[in-house]
Amino acid sequence: MTVDFEFRKQVMDYHIGSDLIKYCFQCSRCADNCPVTNVTTDFYTTTGYNPRSNILNALLGYKDAIFSADALTIWGCTVCDTCNEVCPQNIELTEIFTLLKNQSVANGNAPDFIYSQARAIFDSAKAIPTQPAIERRREQLGLPPVAEPDVSEFRTLLKNIGADKKLK
Amino acid sequence: MTEYKMFEGCTIGNRIPFIEAASRKVFDKVGIETSQTNFSCCPDPTGMKSFDNDAWLAIGARNLCLAEAEGKDIISLCNGCTNTLRGVQHQLKHNSWKKDKINKELAKIGKEYKGSIDIKHFVDVLSDNLDKVKGAITKPLNGLKVAVHPGCHYMRPAEWMESDDPMRPTTLKKLVEASGATVVDYGEEILCCGSAVTNAYEEHGFANLKIKMDAIKKSGADVIAVNCPACYQQFDTRQRDLGKAYETEYDTPAMYITELYALAMGFTPDDIGLKFHRIRLTSTLEKLGL
Repeated sequence: MTVDFEFRKQVMDYHIGSDLIKYCFQCSRCADNCPVTNVTTDFYTTTGYNPRSNILNALLGYKDAIFSADALTIWGCTVCDTCNEVCPQNIELTEIFTLLKNQSVANGNAPDFIYSQARAIFDSAKAIPTQPAIERRREQLGLPPVAEPDVSEFRTLLKNIGADKKLK
Repeated sequence: MTEYKMFEGCTIGNRIPFIEAASRKVFDKVGIETSQTNFSCCPDPTGMKSFDNDAWLAIGARNLCLAEAEGKDIISLCNGCTNTLRGVQHQLKHNSWKKDKINKELAKIGKEYKGSIDIKHFVDVLSDNLDKVKGAITKPLNGLKVAVHPGCHYMRPAEWMESDDPMRPTTLKKLVEASGATVVDYGEEILCCGSAVTNAYEEHGFANLKIKMDAIKKSGADVIAVNCPACYQQFDTRQRDLGKAYETEYDTPAMYITELYALAMGFTPDDIGLKFHRIRLTSTLEKLGL
């Protein structure tokens, strides 16, 4: 297993305002409380989604163990933030998992719905664009029309950041 | 009372607007004033944040700029939007390098993020006005058994969500009790609805949802009270498929806390478009004599 020092540094730098992640002692409270670990692994298996292994591999710079494995390794996370709350070392695990997901997206390996939602947001500045049938329903319910965002300003912002290049 | 900028969010505004209708009616009764502005997607803390954290920050900060320009706090109808806007605020507050980077981009579109406003989840605003809520209730929902599901992003992470407790929240419970309904404990209150993982891995999402739904069924609840459109949709649209996958019947309706309140405040099911729910509310409404 190769250690990717650049990746290791990115992980260390990502944790807001602290180096807490270094103090993970693999107690497994994250995995014990993870709802996805609960339905994808049992005591005797090493497959499935495991937040504890992700933190260990990220911390050691074992990039391949994360990015060359089944996509479930990264995308099994349902972002419930339970691991953050139960971690005795106050590690913000979900933030580290955001970094892993961002890199998976850039590599083109994320699940389709991530790209399709980003595409909808880029095109209309809304994850769910306005539809005539829903506009009529709003009117029937006595609701004002949705205030439409400035799509061209919104797209300029995203293009300047370079997020459009990650779209599929 | 202060006027808030309404952040209904993409899902409620453009897919399930009947929830906005019930919420606005309840806000009127309680005296919570709102006005609109042209917000974009928040954007989604499970989707867009996973796509690109910096893009998520920039879009969120731009939305905050729109509210800052009017000097008004935001009231959000959605756990995800609240979590994003508060999370963006948290990252920019604790990372000056990122704040400078985002502000450099915002300057190009004539904006500057200052961090001068607050973002409130509507559940907390209702809870702060509980006396007025109780005063507006004319038809208490006596006899209705309710399972509460506050949803992960309402209370976690505690670093930037300020609910009463990230693992044992009580606010939604208290709001339901104020309606006259009875809260039933089912033991899986804080379990995630699994919306995000179901989008990527349906079988794992369903295995998780089954744990949640089995506990709710066992508790004998008539309805699941929610305060998040993603959780609402997970319960309202995926129970039928869950039933097919496991050859069991799952049909407990989910209702927004503001839908329950609207009924308790005298509005009719038609006033708030309850017919647009996928899971029929017939037996729930019969129980309430509506």
